[in-house]
Amino acid sequence: MTHSVSSLSTKSAPQSTEGIAVQIRGLNYSFGQGNLRKQVLFDIDLTLPKGQIVIMTGPSGSGKTTLISLIGGLRSCFDGSLNVLGKELVGLNDKQLVNIRRNIGFIFQMHNLFESLTASQNVEMAVELTNDWGEKRARAVDILRQLGLGDRVDYKPNSLSGGQKQRVAIARALVNQPQLILADEPTAALDKKSGREVVTLMQKLAKEEGRTILMVTHDNRILDVADRIINLVDGRLESDENLEGFVKSHDPKSLDRRMFMM
Amino acid sequence: MKLLPRPSGFSKESLMLPPRHTLLAWYNLVHERRRLITALAGVAFAVLLMFVFLGFKNALYDSQTQLLELLNGDVVIINRIKENMFVPEQFARRRLYQAQAFEGVEDGYSLYIATADWKNPETKLIRPLRVLAFNPEEPVLPLPGVLNYQDQLRMPWTALIDDRSRPEVGPMEVGIDTELMEQQIRIVGTFSLGTDFAAGNGNVVMSDQNFVRYFARLGPEEDSRTLNTVDIGLLTVAEGYDLDTLVQTLSDRLPKDVLVLTKDAFAQRERTYWEENTNIGFVFSLLTIMSFIVGIILVYQILYTDIADHWAEYATMKAMGYTNLNLFVIVIQEAVILAFLGFIPGLLTSLILYDLAMNATGLLMILTPGRALNIFVSTFVMCLVSGAIAVRKVQSTDPAEVFG
Repeated sequence: MTHSVSSLSTKSAPQSTEGIAVQIRGLNYSFGQGNLRKQVLFDIDLTLPKGQIVIMTGPSGSGKTTLISLIGGLRSCFDGSLNVLGKELVGLNDKQLVNIRRNIGFIFQMHNLFESLTASQNVEMAVELTNDWGEKRARAVDILRQLGLGDRVDYKPNSLSGGQKQRVAIARALVNQPQLILADEPTAALDKKSGREVVTLMQKLAKEEGRTILMVTHDNRILDVADRIINLVDGRLESDENLEGFVKSHDPKSLDRRMFMM
Repeated sequence: MKLLPRPSGFSKESLMLPPRHTLLAWYNLVHERRRLITALAGVAFAVLLMFVFLGFKNALYDSQTQLLELLNGDVVIINRIKENMFVPEQFARRRLYQAQAFEGVEDGYSLYIATADWKNPETKLIRPLRVLAFNPEEPVLPLPGVLNYQDQLRMPWTALIDDRSRPEVGPMEVGIDTELMEQQIRIVGTFSLGTDFAAGNGNVVMSDQNFVRYFARLGPEEDSRTLNTVDIGLLTVAEGYDLDTLVQTLSDRLPKDVLVLTKDAFAQRERTYWEENTNIGFVFSLLTIMSFIVGIILVYQILYTDIADHWAEYATMKAMGYTNLNLFVIVIQEAVILAFLGFIPGLLTSLILYDLAMNATGLLMILTPGRALNIFVSTFVMCLVSGAIAVRKVQSTDPAEVFG
């Protein structure tokens, strides 16, 4: 394992990670073993500077989720280089990855809130990871207020709407002020209006604090928040452009058709 | 990273609440009331089973020695071949007189024991009862009932009946006239003792004079009794004398046809006999262990369902940076809460059941704090084992699967 890392570091000379949140070089990833081995990511090179909002699109099965879970330290990878917030993730074991994950905010398609806990308690569960006991309630209430849930602090998820639940989940992801936020279809379970609200809030909070957001989405209604859109097809980075370029290169009709295929 | 402004109005709250974990285990358990009640009923049931089986085991043993422990005396003399209370062997009363001559022996009492046919005054059916006879002037069996009716006992053809005898014996009240050994008897009082293996139906207490009236002139096939042979001899020891030394002296100096023991050693010997010569211990220990395993399965089911239902949430916690150890603690907390909350109704139900069983069987069902503590520890271990098995489900949860 160390051997492959050192051989790779000669290939891609170590660069300064100043101002860079995620730097990926020559990343390969496969599921399974032996004959069942199936490679899902091929030689990915990607750099996410700090403060950027990046949307990742691509057909299902293209490896988006795998890539995002590798960046989030949810899976171990062994081939290539994956530097997240200044730490090399390739070759780390599960235990070391847990520590990496504490600096990353995760937002999932489903809110995954504990039904038994109030909005505030759900957020406090995240604060407790930082051992900030005295302030946990205050910090949870503060972030919920920033997300427009100041009057729903002590409500349980059952009495919140879908959009409110997702905002609580976002509050939970943001409360520890992570420098990197990974979101997987955060608006998929929401109606148009709530989805819009949620994304705008994420954009606002990210811009204020200079955070990097990497978001997987099929929802072309929210593409406008992106500074940059990357497209992953069959495990390879196919395009990497800014919003204007993406709109130009994708005729609205073909874009829509592509979206249906996903 | 600028610090978020701290909203005013929460300082009071943070003062009131000491820093602590959000008790996720507790909230998850109480969130679904119906499931919690089912869970607690399950734990309580397992606790109840353990209590009942252990209770019967102890009751069978305790009952064998309860009469011995109630007898007034520090040292016991019995026939050497009386291996347990079932063996109807007596020793010569003069041994008791000989023993009383030793320094340190204060007093000596004789207890005569026999099994007698009792006729149920209502159904006229015959049941064997154990007869305990002694001189009513002597404090041989200082039970409240026996002491109350001391004077009545002196009347000929009278006896006291054990009101904890089995119901088949018939009404157990003062004034009943019926037959004992096919001779008339009048019940002049009651006392409370209970049954054991040697007295499966119950007990009767009478004076030694009446004992002779009933048992001195038995048929040709039976051994008639006199007051010259004693079943259990009791010695009280004067203050300042060492029991063990005295027992040793008596054993050495008295003829070898008798066995001299301290009362405690005698009770222990009786208990050991039943422990070693019956399957009670094995059967009830097996049943207790089975209840323990049933409990493990029940609690495991409860915990597993909780984890399976909250799979995505636990996986999200892992993604957030909670370690397997953190999650292990949460599951164990749930197990411990179940153990505590389930133990209480289990204990209360058991107490009621002990009472019912005691009335129905006449067995001595005692729940000592030590025994309750034992069961509590078992419950605790039961829940910990379940938690340890169930937690593997959380630990195998792959946070990457929450994505997509």
